[in-house]
Amino acid sequence: MCNTTDINREMGKHEIALNYCSNKHAVQKGANPAPKLILDGEVVEFVAGDTILQVAERAGRGHLIPRYCYHPGLPIAGTCRMCTVEVEKMVKLMTACSTPAADGMVVHTKTERVLKSRAGVMEFLLINHPLDCPVCDKAGECDLQDNNYRYGPVTSSFLEDKRTYPKAATKKLSEKITLNMNRCVHCERCVRFSEEVVKSCDLMMVNRSWHKELTLADDKLGLTSEYQGCLSDFCPVGALTFNDFRFVKRSWFLQRHPSVCDGCSKGCNIEVHSEDNIIYRFTPAYNEKINGHWICDTGRLSYHQVMDPTRIVRPMLAHNGALQATSWELAQAATGHLLETAKKVKVVIGTDATIEEIRYLQAALPDMFGSKFTFRSFNGTGTLSTSSQDKKLDHLLIMQDKTANLRGAEECKLAPLENGQINDSDLVLLVRFGRSAVPAVGNGQKLILLGVWNSAEQASLGAAVEVMLPGLATVEKSGTYINCDGIRQQFIPAVVHLGEGMAVNRLLRFTKK
Amino acid sequence: MATKTVNVSRPYTWQEKFYLFAIVQGLLITLKHFINGFFLRKHNTIMYPEVKREYSNRFRGSHFISVDKNKTENCTACYLCQTVCPAECITIVAGERESSKNPDGVKKEKRPVRFDIDSLRCCFCGFCEEACPKDAIKLSGKYEMAATSRSDTKYDLIYLKREVKGRG
Repeated sequence: MCNTTDINREMGKHEIALNYCSNKHAVQKGANPAPKLILDGEVVEFVAGDTILQVAERAGRGHLIPRYCYHPGLPIAGTCRMCTVEVEKMVKLMTACSTPAADGMVVHTKTERVLKSRAGVMEFLLINHPLDCPVCDKAGECDLQDNNYRYGPVTSSFLEDKRTYPKAATKKLSEKITLNMNRCVHCERCVRFSEEVVKSCDLMMVNRSWHKELTLADDKLGLTSEYQGCLSDFCPVGALTFNDFRFVKRSWFLQRHPSVCDGCSKGCNIEVHSEDNIIYRFTPAYNEKINGHWICDTGRLSYHQVMDPTRIVRPMLAHNGALQATSWELAQAATGHLLETAKKVKVVIGTDATIEEIRYLQAALPDMFGSKFTFRSFNGTGTLSTSSQDKKLDHLLIMQDKTANLRGAEECKLAPLENGQINDSDLVLLVRFGRSAVPAVGNGQKLILLGVWNSAEQASLGAAVEVMLPGLATVEKSGTYINCDGIRQQFIPAVVHLGEGMAVNRLLRFTKK
Repeated sequence: MATKTVNVSRPYTWQEKFYLFAIVQGLLITLKHFINGFFLRKHNTIMYPEVKREYSNRFRGSHFISVDKNKTENCTACYLCQTVCPAECITIVAGERESSKNPDGVKKEKRPVRFDIDSLRCCFCGFCEEACPKDAIKLSGKYEMAATSRSDTKYDLIYLKREVKGRG
């Protein structure tokens, strides 16, 4: 029988960091009969080395086993005792998360003994857990709430005062994370995450038992990792909360839609949490091949760019030397006029555009206005211009290239802009979606801006801007990105754009009569 | 099925033709009210607003938010009243209380920055009061909620924190 460390050794280091319970070794039916166990009277096949909890997860029955310390992306600890199940021919209840499954095992998850044990664990956890669900940001998506509702005792036999940590009741661990130690259930997910996944080793548990407390390794330094938001994601209670989301919204109001993060060339999968199309946060969505269970804080906070109050969301036209908001009809007519009268037009597309947008521009513009266009891509992350120059910035997810679709632009045969300068043309169409940098534009060239711009970026181009056509950000549109590893990802709109921005193919359609 | 109307022409009886009986009957009723009102002082009307009508203790009137001895509102902006409200008349914006103004520590670290009730939308069902885990929002016995402008009917936090003796 092989145990989890053997599996870990088999997989690459990177993969361990992303995902301890990999689905790579999926159940293969065929030559060798797979080992089987009986889970609640149902025969389930599994892979040697799985623990009982992983077997249940893979059989789609993970919801039968509650857990606090177990997380598929973290090493197994077996400390919370919530996942105990009854295994026939074993004297004691076994922890499902750490007991390796064996062929012919008979596992029960709903017996009276198991339920009594769960109720006991819940009662012990709730002895010291404050009843501050109205204040707590985790309420509504809290494992403790859910499990107490399902398995917990209705009353408590504990009448004494609850244990409190006066100094760590509202303690800022860093700019991004606040700790409320009163709520902690000592599952140590955060400690294992900082030690094994991000390897920053900045959190630790001190003291024992009643006095056990989560502390920083260095109080002056605080949390240092780039993945602090994940702490609040997987904290089963509201002990670690993300300051950006603190007291902002109750989780049950939020609608969740999948999308792709466009913060770097990794293309992490995210869940967009919004209400009435106003985005309140990004959380990671599990994707084994790309980001595992995690995303970085920069990506997590990048929704501020979409909801930026200075983002230009109305078409604008130069009038008396300044850009002024106008209607789509006028802006499109002006764009059409500029494109028709120009002799040499350079179209500079940021590598944050989707493949569909690049292909559309490449096909539609020469079709409408003749062959006076030269297409170039622009990245703007330092001197980076091809995907071969892109490199990892840490051992987990963050890439150097800060645009999402450099590989896609290369697939569309879009040559990078020479020297990052635009010189030899009389009209420039600048297409970017908030991620690629703004290229330097030489004097004497008129400019049409298209896509996601904020007022500062627009102002940096000066008076040369003739028309500004607002487009859609990644979470507002559908399209395809190719990430740094060549994985093609399609996405659909997660929220509806609140301004007057339009998709590129709709926006240029009426420029020519 | 359409209603069928039948006109019946019925001749008056001799009592009906002789109007005096009906007139005396009417005068007796008037006399009864006159005696009740003038001599026995039994009124069905009251001299509002000098005199106020007694309401049941369980009457649900204008809203208020209870405060503690430091005049800090008990509300922790948990949004439960906003969630349960069938008329969608409550709007809350939550925020963090300044630690210098918060002697209660963690207990009251979250506060409502805005707490607006649109009383014209409110149907006074009392669900908010029932949902509140802190007994913060309550409905008082006050029923005089007429206002001279529409903006006066939107209650903000300062108005809601006025001291009201609640019911029960």
